[in-house]
Amino acid sequence: MKQSLRQMITCHWTAKRIQRYLDADPSAPLTAEEVARLEAHLAECERCTRVTEEHRVLHRALSLWPGAAVPDQRSVERVRSFLDELTDGSRS
Amino acid sequence: MDDARARAFREHVEPEIEVMLRVALSLTRERADAEDLVQESLIRALRALDSFDGRHPRAWLLTIVRRTHLNMNRRRRPDPVGDWDVLGDQRPAFGAGTAPSAEQAHLDATLSSRLTDALEDLDPKFRSVVVLVDVHDLSYAEAAAVLDVPVGTVMSRLSRARNRLRAALGPEFLTPGRPA
Ligand SMILES: [Zn+2]
Repeated sequence: MKQSLRQMITCHWTAKRIQRYLDADPSAPLTAEEVARLEAHLAECERCTRVTEEHRVLHRALSLWPGAAVPDQRSVERVRSFLDELTDGSRS
Repeated sequence: MDDARARAFREHVEPEIEVMLRVALSLTRERADAEDLVQESLIRALRALDSFDGRHPRAWLLTIVRRTHLNMNRRRRPDPVGDWDVLGDQRPAFGAGTAPSAEQAHLDATLSSRLTDALEDLDPKFRSVVVLVDVHDLSYAEAAAVLDVPVGTVMSRLSRARNRLRAALGPEFLTPGRPA
């Protein structure tokens, strides 16, 4: 299928912003205009929609990745007790 | 230290204990060492409380964890390994930790092992960013604090890391329901 030059430019523009769009990180927010333009493009572009979906699935897979070092609850409790001692001890 | 300061400190720190332990565990890989690192970091944080502006406590605390880790390593070993080799070198500790939660069990085993391979193939500096942001759910600024790089560097590394992971996994793993 032949793409218009305009659409190619918008695909390129979109590709550069998809991750910021999905992350919605406070350090690098998109403007309301950028979000509107990006969402309008996703509504009509199959390829960019697929890329967006891949990023979503990748993020979800990473957030469930079993190789992540997850502290156990006892570690959390011990550090919390330590914090209590640290702050109580200096109170007297 | 008076009650108000003690309370303020505790309010900043308590919600961040788990994420501090996660980052510490990424750095040390040993649970006991991670606890030591966090406890030492808390002592330093308390000492530095006066210079903390009260905004972004997580980024502040993670910066202290990174610096404390570097200091402790310097003390222990005259020739420390590259600081971020460690973080980049995580391997799944199958069977070593707690049992996977019901939700974790849903990550398809094939995708999981492909993901581990793809992460291992990444350059450590790219891998560390993706582990902090996507695996441990840190913000760009918090990852920047842990890695001691500007936020822009976090963003560009993250973008490249994710695109490499997408390419390595391919659409058959990431969007299996869709026609290619
Ligand atoms: Zn497009």
